[in-house]
Parts: sequence; structure tokens; C-alpha cells
Amino acid sequence: MSAANASLRLLGSEMHLIVGRRRNQAGILVRAAVRGRGTGFIASATSNGIFVALSALTIELALFLPLAVAVLSGDAIAGEANTGTLRYLLTVPVQRTRLLVIKYISLVIGAFVGVLVVTVAGIIAGGIFFGLGPVTLLSGDEIPLVEALGRVALAVLYITACLAGLAAIGLFVSTLTEQPIAAMITVTIISTAMWILDGISQLDWIHPWLPVHYWPSFADLFRNPMFFDSMRQGFASLAWARVAQKDITS
Amino acid sequence: MTHDGGVTVFDRNPRLRWAVPATLVALIVGGTLVGSVAASADSGLPPLTAQELLVQAQAPNATSVSGTVEAIADLGLPELPMSSSRGASPTAMLSGTNTARVWSDGAGGSRVALLADADEYDIVRNGQDVWAYSNADRTVEHYVLPDRDASTEIPANVSLPSTPQEAATQALAAIDSSTAVTTSGVDRVAGRDVYELILTPKSSDTLVAKVVIAMDGATFVPLRVQVYSTQMQEPAFEIGFTSVDFGAVDPALFAFTPPAGATVTEHPAGSMTKPTTDAPNGPKPTVVGTGWSTVAIMTVPADALAGTDSTPASDSGTQAASMLQSLPTTFGAWGSGKVLEGTLFTAILTDDGRVAIGAVSPTTLGAALAAS
Repeated sequence: MSAANASLRLLGSEMHLIVGRRRNQAGILVRAAVRGRGTGFIASATSNGIFVALSALTIELALFLPLAVAVLSGDAIAGEANTGTLRYLLTVPVQRTRLLVIKYISLVIGAFVGVLVVTVAGIIAGGIFFGLGPVTLLSGDEIPLVEALGRVALAVLYITACLAGLAAIGLFVSTLTEQPIAAMITVTIISTAMWILDGISQLDWIHPWLPVHYWPSFADLFRNPMFFDSMRQGFASLAWARVAQKDITS
Repeated sequence: MTHDGGVTVFDRNPRLRWAVPATLVALIVGGTLVGSVAASADSGLPPLTAQELLVQAQAPNATSVSGTVEAIADLGLPELPMSSSRGASPTAMLSGTNTARVWSDGAGGSRVALLADADEYDIVRNGQDVWAYSNADRTVEHYVLPDRDASTEIPANVSLPSTPQEAATQALAAIDSSTAVTTSGVDRVAGRDVYELILTPKSSDTLVAKVVIAMDGATFVPLRVQVYSTQMQEPAFEIGFTSVDFGAVDPALFAFTPPAGATVTEHPAGSMTKPTTDAPNGPKPTVVGTGWSTVAIMTVPADALAGTDSTPASDSGTQAASMLQSLPTTFGAWGSGKVLEGTLFTAILTDDGRVAIGAVSPTTLGAALAAS
């Protein structure tokens, strides 16, 4: 069996675990159903269905999407250790580094699915209620719907990359405990604490070091022309988050 | 421990595994520090005197400028309750750190975009058309500038300098009595070497310690302005490029069409030519002092104050009134009133309805009130 094949099979079984679990399916439903208040894009939501999706992403970035990553990463190692299946995984002839990498990739794919579901559900619901058409950017210029959808796709990728940073922290936390709930709560607390710190203007010196500080920067994709300065810093803070994962690879 | 592959150094010394993240952290932090140290290293710019710098500044070697601008303001203004909603607007630039994007083609096209979280305020100039777009309010203000010939009429008694050198000499002579103009070494702004022109007030009454203007070493375009207060170490107000580009700007950026659904207010040409000073309800201010310690004193119409006290017309009126009430009371030979002490200016609203404002301390301001 080739190494690539083995990795793919591992990834397949991971994805089956993620998508197959009832609580994850329920989570996806909840995430798709959440609509409501928010800032920035909300004011524009009634003018175009696209903004419903963007508002939904803005709202869910604060709690629901990080929560989903926390649940998945809690399951990834601590969950397996808890049910005793981790030892079987470790006995198969797969290097631990590769096992971790596969676990991590499946977490990122899980995050991507979550973001995608929120976005697509938002566009469909927004399209039904408010219609779709040329989109007015934050700068007041209009772009055709197709170009706007392209920018939404970029936003999905950017938010997935942001959540990948949290997933790295989550995977690290998951290796510290055998209680999946403990890992989930820890990761949720970490992301929530970062959001709270980010909201306190007196602590602005710490903000550049908080990965979540750059998460809402996907809004910069909807300026004319697109603005990348803040998102570039977002990727730099991703590197910081990745550090958390490095210590368990050997 | 490992299944495929031999025993690694990490297996023999598990603690060594922590060296991997530790090294990464050291690299990231160290990289940031090394970057800032290298940035302050000296450049190869030839030294220029203040006059030579002013001569160059009159003919910048670049027509198109675009980039990202950061403004940091610490004016010591009281925080208004509404400033907590972090929308983009010109008044938001008066406090905290704000980012803007600017484009200019050097001719009639320019655009400034004030950024906030998922919000933007754009000012677009295209020839004589000026558009101001507020994304939060969904409003567009459309101004038409008056004809050039009318606005740039030169008074007959002013002798025009014929060369940039002459203009520089005249400019230096005009401000010489109040200001010392010097250049400092070079610095770096937005990754470019800059000259610094320093204006230091000669008066000791003013709150302005110095004004530093950084000009690009190659194009002589001003890249940063810092205003220092006597009250603090850091600049009280600073605006400068964090990244700048002198390449051609896409003219499509200056073609603004109000988006569907926005409320457009038209301000035709001529509606904004007259300054407000000769409006019937705006009496001319009395000016006391000269140069940097100039104080302007105005009389506030009694009905304007009564309006904010009893029946406020709007939310902002209520907020302004309550903010006024929260200001400390001060008194002197001139009477008593409320004082607003900023880092760069002071304002006093007396109980008998006079307003004095200037870039001076409350004591100097009180003396000016007593003298008027």
C-alpha cells in the first residue's frame, strides 16, 4: 500500500467520522439556520441577498464557527483517547507526524464545510427574500453579481484559513487531555477570550497578536479595489497559531 | 516509539521537541525586532537645508500618488458616547488610530477612502465634481466646485515670486518671526528615505511643541506630518503613509456613480463659495495675539445655547449638551465658564456666551479673554 493511498484512506475515515456524527450534523443545521443582527453588512442586507451571507459570516465568526472547530478538534485526539480508539490508531504502521497532519487536514476541511454551508445557506435565503443582483461595495461602487460571488468565494477561503489557525491550537489542546469535552471547552474559551480582549480598546497593544483581530478583515474584499493589508497580517498571525501545533510533531 | 523510521534525537530527548516551537517564536519575535532596527539605519540622502528642501517641495517629482495612510490622534478630547459605534466618518479621524486609502493623479482626480470595520466613507473628486459617500448612512453628497478662475483670483497687492527659490525665501521670511525652521537628519516613512522639515514655534505660550513634516527623498512628496504637544512625549497628531506608490492610478477610481438606493443630496456650484463668516448669525471672531499663540474669541448667539439646554433637536444635541455639562468649570478675571483642555488646543465657553479657542494653555486663553 503506497503512503499516499494510506493517507487518503486515513483522511477518508476522518471525514466519515466528522460528517457522520449526529452532533456534527446538528451543528451544521444550527449554523445554517442562524440569521439575525450584526453590523456593517446588515445595513445592506435588505438591498441584496449576498449581504445576508456576509452578515451571517460576520455573526458566526464570533461564536458558532469557532465552536464547531472546538468540537471537531476535541474529538480529533482527546475523543479518540477517551473511547480508547487512539491506541489502535497508533498501532497501525503510520508515522505519528502523518497521523497528526491528516487529523489537522480533516479539521481544516471540516471548518471549510462549516463556512461553506453558512455562506451558501445565506446566499439562498437572502436571494429568496431580497433578490440577487449587482452588488454595491463598501466604497459605493457597483460590481456585477458574478464578480461579487467570486469575492465571496475568496472570503470563504480566507475565513477557512483563519479557522485553520484555531484548529492548530485546538489540535494541540486536544493532545493535552483525554476528555474531549475539556478540550472543546478550552478551545472555545481561548477563542472567546481572544474576542473579548479584542473588544477592549484599552488593550489595543495586544490586538495585533490576537489571531481573531484579523478575522473580520474579510470585509476588505468588498472594498474597491480590494484591500489586503489587514488580511496579510492575518496570515502572519496564523504562523503564530501554527507554532502551537509544532511541538507534538516528532 | 516511531514505527517507520529510526530513533530520532527527539525520541532520546523528548524535551528537545519543545525546541521547535521555541525556535519559531524566537524567529518571529526576533525578525520583528531586527526589521525595526534595520529601518532606523542611516540612508544615503545628501543633506539639505530648510530652504533647499522648500525649493524642492514646490515641484514634487511625482504626479500620481496612492497608498495607505494611518492617522493617530490623541487630542485629549472627551469621548462622545456615539464615538463607540466605530463607523467610518471624517469626525472619527479625530480620535484613536484610523486608516485611509488615498489615490491622486495630480490633476483633477483624487479619492480618499476612510476605513472602518466593514464600513467606509469615500470622498471622490473628479474635475469639478466632488462626491462624498457614506456607506453606513447610504447617503451621497454631490458638490460642484466653482470655476477655477473665480476662486484663484489673486489680490493685486501681492507680488508673486518668480522662481521656486524666491518663493522659498519669501515663505521662510514670512514665518521667521514666529517659527524656527530647521531640518533634521533623515528618517524612513513607508519604507522610503525621507527628509524632515521641523517647524518650532518661538513663542512659549503655545501648546504646539513642534511640527515635523517628512518629505520623500526622491520625489519630495510629503509622506508624514507629526504635530507634537508640549503636554506629551508622543505626537498628539500624526498622519502618514504606511505604504506609498508613485505609479499611475487607474482613472476608473475617480469615476463615481451614486449606487442604487442611496440618497443623493445635490450642492450645485456657487452654493459653497461664500465662507460662513459673513453669514448674518455668525459674527466675525475677535483675534487676540499673533502667530502660534493666536486666540479667536466669538460670541455665541443666545438662542443657540438655549436650544441645546431646553429642547434639544436631536440625539447629538443632547449628547453635546451633556458633554458640555461634564466639562470642568474655570474662572478668572474674565468671569467663569466651562473649559475644554486638549493636548493641542484649549477652548473656554464663558457663562455670558463667549467662546475662546486657541493653541494655548487655559491661563493664556483667560488672559486673552480678559484683554478683549
